Amino acid sequence: MAMLAIEQRYIDEMIAHARQEAPLECCGVLGGRDGRVLKLFRATNAERSRYRYNIDSQELFRINRECEENGWQFLGIYHSHPDSEAYPSPTDVGLAFWPESLYFIVSLRDAGNPEVRAFRIRDGEITEEEIEIVRR
Amino acid sequence: MAVTVYIPAPFRRLTNNRSYVEGHGQTVAELLDDLKARYPALGDMLQGEGGDLPSHISIYVNNQEIHSLQGEATPLKDGDEVAVIPVIAGGQDLTSEQMLRYSRQIMIPDVGVAGQRKLLDARVLVVGAGGLGSPAAVYLAAAGVGTLGIVDSDELDLSNLQRQILHHTPDVGRPKVESAQETIARYNPDVRVIPYRERLDAANALEIVGQYDVVVGAVDNFDTRYLLNDASYLAGKPYVDGGVFLFEGQVTVFIPGQGCYRCLFPAPPPAEVVPKPSQVGLLGTLPGVIGVIEAFEALKLILGLGESLAGRLLIFDALAMEFRQVRTRRDPQCPLCGDAPTIRELGEYKALSSSPLAGRDEG
Repeated sequence: MAMLAIEQRYIDEMIAHARQEAPLECCGVLGGRDGRVLKLFRATNAERSRYRYNIDSQELFRINRECEENGWQFLGIYHSHPDSEAYPSPTDVGLAFWPESLYFIVSLRDAGNPEVRAFRIRDGEITEEEIEIVRR
Repeated sequence: MAVTVYIPAPFRRLTNNRSYVEGHGQTVAELLDDLKARYPALGDMLQGEGGDLPSHISIYVNNQEIHSLQGEATPLKDGDEVAVIPVIAGGQDLTSEQMLRYSRQIMIPDVGVAGQRKLLDARVLVVGAGGLGSPAAVYLAAAGVGTLGIVDSDELDLSNLQRQILHHTPDVGRPKVESAQETIARYNPDVRVIPYRERLDAANALEIVGQYDVVVGAVDNFDTRYLLNDASYLAGKPYVDGGVFLFEGQVTVFIPGQGCYRCLFPAPPPAEVVPKPSQVGLLGTLPGVIGVIEAFEALKLILGLGESLAGRLLIFDALAMEFRQVRTRRDPQCPLCGDAPTIRELGEYKALSSSPLAGRDEG
């Protein structure tokens, strides 16, 4: 599979979202086509928790419909780990029902140095994927 | 009834790559059975333990998630559009440091990791950073209550240090909320402290109380106690109340709808019979005991453990070293939580007296 191409502004936006929601987890979706991210959808964490995220079901429906209408896929799904590393937790793996999407995790463990990493989670297997930062 | 079922990308491998399939049923439950029969692989995804719809699948009928309709009993009509979408969910786990820090309470079967997450997600408001609020806040912080609001408008006086263990000698003259925040950060960096260096009044109480899950009252005057009682009730928050006087302490819990402080004490005593808190002596261990019980009740409420003190007033006699309890109940005549309430918003509390009576610490 080709490397996902994403503009730096989307990475920055994920970090900004994570910081805004801290100490709670944030979440959202990266929609796009042909391996290229075209829109970031911030979503409401219905759990309002530091240890759980769950995209509000009505928002998920709207985001999914907008992507379908544009012929986009959920290229990425992102959430934050306010206190722990940017690596999928057992909970993340257990609830990874979107095997075609890249799971982005923003870690704020080192507050001054947020880290963003991307993983494919398929059948319980975690594979870190490189992403290509592209110009607009 | 024939309906169209939208299948999102992750499930299409289970429906021969089709984005839409037809389904039949009078209700969502019948439709799910129909889908299970025709797409067994999809059916496996739609069936959790015990055969119920698993919580990680959301079902929508004409754009509405069915929990906002009638759940699986939601009726269907011809031409309805149904969508079956898996949740996007997950979340970080406790760090290994947190697992170790909280290990002694995580090993309690009714607490566990799930309970610890509840504590870290919880928001508790401690009103007063004095003799009662200090031990309460220290134990709540040590247990990992993730967000602690601390309200106190005072600066630390040297005479406070005999019992107010949130503060230290070099803090004399500093705002108590500042030294409280520093002390708590040293106890437990997991805890976020939100300091309120102000007096709670009718203008700010509801807004502040509304942001918390549990209110712990640790105040030294009737005005604030009645205000907190009313604000907690109006905001629908459980209110843990504690107070001390001489060698006696009292603690109870008010759950909205199960009685309040006004049911117990409809009116404060006349101001002239009430001594000033700073003129009543006490040993610091007394608010220590009562503040710790208040913290315990707050933890129990968050964790859903045991029986709270709601409906009981616990009275501690330190000289006899005895605990007694008296039953309390909601008063149907109560002006706040009775059958015909007359208090519907926060009013004026200045007319009330300031006192350590009926159990209170001097802040």
